[in-house]
Amino acid sequence: MQGEIRSNQVNVDLQPPGIPAIACANLHSPFLPSLKRPALNGVNCVIQAGEFVTLLGLNGAGKSTLLRSLVGLVPIQKGTISINGLSVKSKLLRDRRDVSILFQGGGLVPQLTALENVLCGCLGQRSTWQTLIGFRHSDRLRALQLLQTMGLEAQIHQRTSQLSGGQKQRVAIARILMQSPKILLVDEPTTGLDMLAAKQVMDIFAQLHRQGMTIVSVLHDLTIATHYAQRAIVLNSGRVIYDGDCENLPNYLSLGNP
Amino acid sequence: MKFFKFRHQGVGLNVAWLKGLLILGGLLILYGWALQGLKLNLETLNESVPYVIDFVSRLFPPDWSVTDVAVKALIETIQMSLWGTTIGAVLSVPIALLSAHNLTPGWISWTANLLQNMVRSIPSIVLGLFFVSATGLGAPAGTLALGIYTIGYLAKFYQEAIESVDPCSIESLQVSGASWVQIAQYGIFSQVLPPGLGYTLYMFEYNIRAASVLGVVGAGGIGFELVNYIRGFEYNKATTMMLILLIVVTLIDGVSNQLRRRLDTTH
Repeated sequence: MQGEIRSNQVNVDLQPPGIPAIACANLHSPFLPSLKRPALNGVNCVIQAGEFVTLLGLNGAGKSTLLRSLVGLVPIQKGTISINGLSVKSKLLRDRRDVSILFQGGGLVPQLTALENVLCGCLGQRSTWQTLIGFRHSDRLRALQLLQTMGLEAQIHQRTSQLSGGQKQRVAIARILMQSPKILLVDEPTTGLDMLAAKQVMDIFAQLHRQGMTIVSVLHDLTIATHYAQRAIVLNSGRVIYDGDCENLPNYLSLGNP
Repeated sequence: MKFFKFRHQGVGLNVAWLKGLLILGGLLILYGWALQGLKLNLETLNESVPYVIDFVSRLFPPDWSVTDVAVKALIETIQMSLWGTTIGAVLSVPIALLSAHNLTPGWISWTANLLQNMVRSIPSIVLGLFFVSATGLGAPAGTLALGIYTIGYLAKFYQEAIESVDPCSIESLQVSGASWVQIAQYGIFSQVLPPGLGYTLYMFEYNIRAASVLGVVGAGGIGFELVNYIRGFEYNKATTMMLILLIVVTLIDGVSNQLRRRLDTTH
């Protein structure tokens, strides 16, 4: 199967047991005039290491903002965020090196090849001088291995602007795996993909989860959400309104809840 | 209810029609105001036709005996444009980086934009006069004038290319912990390079025409020879200069279009 991670599998660093991977307490983001409220309006949630959690909710509920706040892209007005037990108050990315985010559409540089994009994943681990004229041989080997693992041998030297949606997502996943994160945040990974490509991408997340990675994914498709995730957090108007098993979610929604 | 809805749509249509009429009226007033500023005298305009015909008739036939002078001057014009565009392009890069709203804090981009506007507001001929007085008559003055003139436009084009970079791709690099230089090198530069090269080629082509104007103030190139022939009433020789300039500009335009198209398709 092209979408599954092949052979040796990707090494996932396991998180310390007992400590929550992510803990948000009374999280408030700055006031948004367009919504007439903060996008995050007192979010409380705890995600344990090794969980596969899906974030659900209507447009503007605060799902993407929550993910972006966890990596420091959205400033926090009030409340606290803890990653692996460490409170992250500053915008410093070194506090959040265990966390990676996969943006909707992949967030790739379209003019670079698949290999170059994957290599960009290790920029944070190398100094400016080390990457000024290129990447280390060991980094290139690892990037090549990751692309092969994702079933993209034939696309290694192709510009990502020429790849299909599913291939782009797999390149973006390979780039993230270059950082060896323990926690992976995913923003609408199946948007714009056909059914097969969506399944391939979700199967990769399932496999990474089986290897111990904590996965938090914003999803729109309830069927996909209940199939892959164990737990669902439903947001509405910047607040958590449901936090529980995915299995109970259809019942909860059938009662007329958003 | 249906009648009310119909009437409501009718009111909407009337408002749109009135709005269109107001815009048309405003435009007519604007053009009328501009025309009265020109102090156009139709009688003088009518009387000028024979003079125009006389001037044009004196341009022909072209005097091909000055072809070698024209080619030599044109080569100098191309050399001026090449160096002027390159100097301008190199200086435009840091200014564009500082001007881009998605890269720098507001006050820095505001200052850099002000600098760009200042440069852009100086006409090329004034820059030509300035450098002629500084370095004397000839191509060096023209090259320097073109270099500064180019900044006003290329910095703006580069800035717009930087601002149109996909923000998600930059955020991905930020989150991975990449430094500012690494983001610029791998995220921005690679996305800005294809349109940037296209703009630079266009500017090179434009500068060949601009260099011809600079020759009028003694800043070298084909314009210098052209003005000398016109001042000496040697219109047939001036025509040769203009025809050779037209051929070269058309050729460069064609090559530059091809290169720009290739840049678009490969990226």
